[in-house]
Formats: sequence, C-alpha cells, structure tokens
Amino acid sequence: MAQETQTRIRALATRRAFLTRFASGIFASLIVPAVASGVLDQVEAAPQEGAGPAPMPELPEGMNGQHPIERMLQDLQRALQKPVDQRRWAMVIDLRKCVGCYACTVACIAENKLPPGIAYRPVITETRGTYPNVSRRFIPRPCMQCENPPCVPVCPVRATWKRPDGIVVINYDQCIGCRYCITACPYAARSFDSGYFYSDFEGGLPQPYESLPSPEYGENRVRRKDTSPVGNVRKCHFCLHRIERGQLPACVLSCMGRATYFGDLNDPQSLVSELASRPNAFRLKEELGTEPKVFYLV
Amino acid sequence: MNRTEKILWGIALVGFLAGIAGLIQRFTGGHTVAAYGTYVPWGLWVAVYTTLVGISIGSFLIAALGEGARIRALQPLTRIALLTAFAALAGGLLAIWLDLGHPLRFWKLFLSTNPTSIMGWMAWFYTAYGILLLVLIYLQWARPTSPLLRLLFGLGLALAVIFGGAEGALFGVVSAQALWESALVPIRFLIEGAASGMALVLFLAILLGYLEPESGRFLRWTLLGLLLTVAVLEWSEYSTTIYAGIPTKVESLRVVLFGPFWWVFWIFQIGLGLVAPIILLAFLGERKVWLGTAGGLIAFTSLSAKLNLVIPALVVPELEGLRMAFTGPGLSFDYFPTLSEWLLAVWVVSVAALIFLAAYRLLPAEQARHA
Ligand code: SF4
Ligand code: SF4
Repeated sequence: MAQETQTRIRALATRRAFLTRFASGIFASLIVPAVASGVLDQVEAAPQEGAGPAPMPELPEGMNGQHPIERMLQDLQRALQKPVDQRRWAMVIDLRKCVGCYACTVACIAENKLPPGIAYRPVITETRGTYPNVSRRFIPRPCMQCENPPCVPVCPVRATWKRPDGIVVINYDQCIGCRYCITACPYAARSFDSGYFYSDFEGGLPQPYESLPSPEYGENRVRRKDTSPVGNVRKCHFCLHRIERGQLPACVLSCMGRATYFGDLNDPQSLVSELASRPNAFRLKEELGTEPKVFYLV
Repeated sequence: MNRTEKILWGIALVGFLAGIAGLIQRFTGGHTVAAYGTYVPWGLWVAVYTTLVGISIGSFLIAALGEGARIRALQPLTRIALLTAFAALAGGLLAIWLDLGHPLRFWKLFLSTNPTSIMGWMAWFYTAYGILLLVLIYLQWARPTSPLLRLLFGLGLALAVIFGGAEGALFGVVSAQALWESALVPIRFLIEGAASGMALVLFLAILLGYLEPESGRFLRWTLLGLLLTVAVLEWSEYSTTIYAGIPTKVESLRVVLFGPFWWVFWIFQIGLGLVAPIILLAFLGERKVWLGTAGGLIAFTSLSAKLNLVIPALVVPELEGLRMAFTGPGLSFDYFPTLSEWLLAVWVVSVAALIFLAAYRLLPAEQARHA
C-alpha cells in the first residue's frame, strides 16, 4: 500500500511540474477542484519531510497588486517565517458575498477525499420572512478552531488537541471513536466516519477515486473499510497540509464570491486581522466563550 | 435447577441466540449497520450501557449498605446483589465497547488517559469497581468471616456514590447539549440507578424464592422514597426548563414530552416506571406479587429514562439549518435504532443475564445472616 501511495505521489509530482509550466501555482490551485472529471489531477501530495513553503506563485497580470489572493498569500508567507506558536490562523467569511454555490463544500471534499456523509464545511441556508417576501443568506460552517475548544478536554485518550498555532487536530491512530467530542462541539463541526464508500450506494467495488490518498495532516492515508480514519471522528483543519507549504485552504481558493479570507490573526498587517476587527464582524455562539477563530462579516 | 431458573435460562438463551445476528452485523458492517452517525452520535447502545451501569450501582448499594453500613434487613440479599452488580457491569461495558469506533484500541483509555476527561476517569473507575466486585465475590464466598469484607464494602459504598454521580456528570458537563447540561443530571443518574438496581434485586429475589419479609419491607419503603425523589427531580428539571425557556433545551424537552416517541416518556418512563410502582408500593402492602411487580416494572423500564436523556438532546440541531445544509448517511437529526442495534442490545442484555444465571448456579446465594 505504501509503495502504491509513493508511486501515486511521484506521478502526481510529475503532473504538477507539468501544470506549473503552463499556469501559475495559484491558477493551478484554482482550477484543481473544478476539474471534476480528471479526479487524479486534483491530488496534491502532502509535503514531504523537510519540504519548506512553496515559493510565491506568479500571478496572472490582472491579479497583481493588492488582489486579496495575493495579499493573503503574502500574509501566509510572512506568518510561516514566524515560530509556529506565534501564528494564529483565522478565517473571515463575508456573508454579504456568499452566494450559496457550495464550491467550498465541494472543494474541501475533493481536497481531503471525504467519503459520503462527511462535509467539513457545509453551507447553511437561512431563510427569513414569509413567502413570497423572503430573503436568504448563506452561512458556510467550517470548524471554528476555537481558542477554548470544548471538544478537546472531553477526549478520554488525548487524541485531539489545539496546536500552538491554534488549529484543533485529531490523531487518527489515537482516536478510539467514542464520539464524545462530537457531542461536546457546539457547532456540530465534527463528523463520524462510519465507513461508507460511494460504491456502497452505486454498487461494486470502491471506485478508484475512493482509494486516493488523503493529504490530511500530511499523512497520505488511503481510506479502507477496516482502518483509520474509518471509525474515527474527523473535522476541518483549515487545510493544515496546504498552509504548511504556503498554500491557502481549498475553500478559500474555490470561493467564487471571494467571500472567504484566511490568514494570521497575530499579524496586524494581515487581511484577516483587518477584516476581523471591523465592527460588522461577529462569531457564532459567542456567548459560549469558545472564542471561535472564524469571523463572519454582515 | 427449579422451574423459574429454567425459564430464565430459556429467555436468556433465546435472546443470546437472536442477538448473535446483531453481533455478526456489527462485526461485518462496522458502524454502517447503525442509525447513529455524525449528528446523532450516540444511540441505543449508549443508553443500554448507562442503564446497565446504573443497575449495577443500585444492586451494589444493597450489598454495601447491608454489609458496610450493617443494615440487617438487607444482609440476606448481599450475595444476589453482588452477582447482579457484576453481571450488569459486564453487560454495560460490553455495550459501550461494541459502540466504540475502534474497540481494539480500548487499552488507550488506560495508557493515555486524559485527566480532563470524565470518560477517561470513568475507565479507571470501572476498573477499580470491577476489581472490587471480584474481590468481594471471592471473599463473600470463600472467606465470609474475613474482617476485610466490611472495610471493602464501606469503600465500595463511597466509590459507588461517586461513580454513580460521575456517570451522570459525563453528560452533565457537556454544555453543547442543553438538555444534558444540568447539575441535576448526576444526581438523577445516581438516584435512578439506585432505584433500578435495587428494584432488580428485589424482583430476582422474589422470583428465585428467597426474599425475607424484613428485606421486602425495607426495600419497599426505600424504593418508594427513591421513586418520589426521582419524581421531584424530574419535575424540577422539566418545570424550570419550560419556565426559563432556553430554546434548544425547551426543544429537546418538547421532543421528550410530545415528539414522535412521546409514549416512551408517558407510558414507559412515567406510567409504568414511576406512577404504577409508586401505587403498588404505597398502597398494596407487602405481598410478594406486588413487590415483585413493582420491582420488575422499575428495572425493566429504566432504559426509557436513559433513552429520553441521551437521544432528545442530540436530535435538536446545534445550528438551525444544518438539517438541510448537507445530506448523506449519518447526517440526520432523526434517530430510531436499526434492527441490528436492537439485536445487539438484546444480545448484550442476554449476556449479562447469562453471566448472572451461571454465577448463581455456581455460587450458592443463600447466606447466613450476621449475628
Ligand atoms: S468548532 Fe467544534 S470541533 Fe472545532 S474547535 Fe470548536 S468545538 Fe472543536
Ligand atoms: S472520538 Fe476520538 S477524538 Fe473524539 S473524544 Fe473520542 S477518542 Fe477523542
């Protein structure tokens, strides 16, 4: 299995090199989730040990200057220069710009190779008023990466914790699948991987795309019925594997309304710091004291 | 083996054999055979586990009060209470072990215990309690005059009270689930557990034919007191919740009282589990048939109170709109156990019953009263 994974990673590395020759890194990242038919092309191998952050990609001319993507990438590069405990990754979601297209939901599923019934970032639709006088708003819900995460202290085996940079992670080999943390999360941001495969519904053996390694936590795990992460709890990790190689999370790049922003809250120059400190920013269930690091703009 | 015992063996064996189908499905289909998932992560098996552990603590209290606190009326029941406590604990732990996503990693509970997790602490509590039960069973049968017995029963009494409350605290500390987060939940677990365990011992002692009138009288009034306390606790919890009107908590309570499974609350939990036994115990005297019926009703409906705590809290979405935000297996806020879940639950309870019956066969439960 490990050999198979390595072969895939090598093939993908070659394919990536090919891609970068024709498009900038960022453009490649933008189109990756969209190329649904060529699923293999979406796979980004997790960074190998020792690999530093990727160099700043060349942007198409129209994106130069203060385009938010460029600014966020610069923010990211700056943050990665700092020691990990001085970073505070955060996300800002502008609800006025979200059009409810679910591109982020799908990009996340494609990026992390999520099975049926697991979505790290569903988009909630809120309808107000009485028909026909109704209005709608869309609220994407990733993990809030709480500063005081109630999901962490309840874990009986220390399988989940908050990293020094604030991201709450899970060790799949340590998790016993008791699901206590799911009950403790006030945002329903944790999912239980019961072991479903798309082929369970379509018939036949697992499809090739279901056997692709997931880059989560840089582990390149191939999902099988009898082993982790099946039987584990899973959650959004702000695409930690991408951040660490200088890339923005998949949901940020795929957002067609440019409603999602990402960066380092500990950097006053960063775009997210600027947006999160606006008076129209709020956080979900703030009264619980969980101190979410996902801010919403209204 | 008398006729009653034969019937009990028969029922337990039928349950065991029928339940094997659930066990096989659990092992071949993993957790896809169950109706719980992401939005309702705990279901029938967790309710069965909490019920059996509660029964274990309640049964143990009879033995500990009799031997540790020297309540003479309870002493004839020490042995049957110990066996019931052990069998129920084994069943409860089996249920929760099969509920784990990775049952073979249970040892991590001991080697990587998280001191901030009540569940982590519970693993050690169960181990200490299980070992204590085994030691007490050994001493009770092999060295009934050992001076250690009283000391250990006294220790067990303290442990059972802490442990019965901690079981409830596992739920009571979860602020994300409005229905659980209450200081009353640990107390309810303790009192409900005490009532169900004592009731089961009363029922078994009558069925197996050696309840002494004095024990019956003592248990009658004790159970009545416990049931009235349960009624007061439930009333204060529910009435203050409705009056305070915290939306998610009221919504969970609405599910309990008037949801699709209202009958679990009104018929099983209140009607058969509380009102009927209170009437039987309070007004119909000490005839064994009434005591036994009351005991059986309390013990066998005790699952309903746990189902009504575990599930209604989880079927109310944490964020309105999640219900439709994304769909797929496990992403449902409606929960009803699958046939596999029922079968496995029957199997677990049958295993507990068989452990009790086998122990009862091997170890004579008749016991001389202390001077
Ligand atoms: S949103 Fe939920 S899963 Fe994420 S850190 Fe907070 S409590 Fe934990
Ligand atoms: S499901 Fe896993 S991560 Fe969650 S509390 Fe249990 S062991 Fe910890």
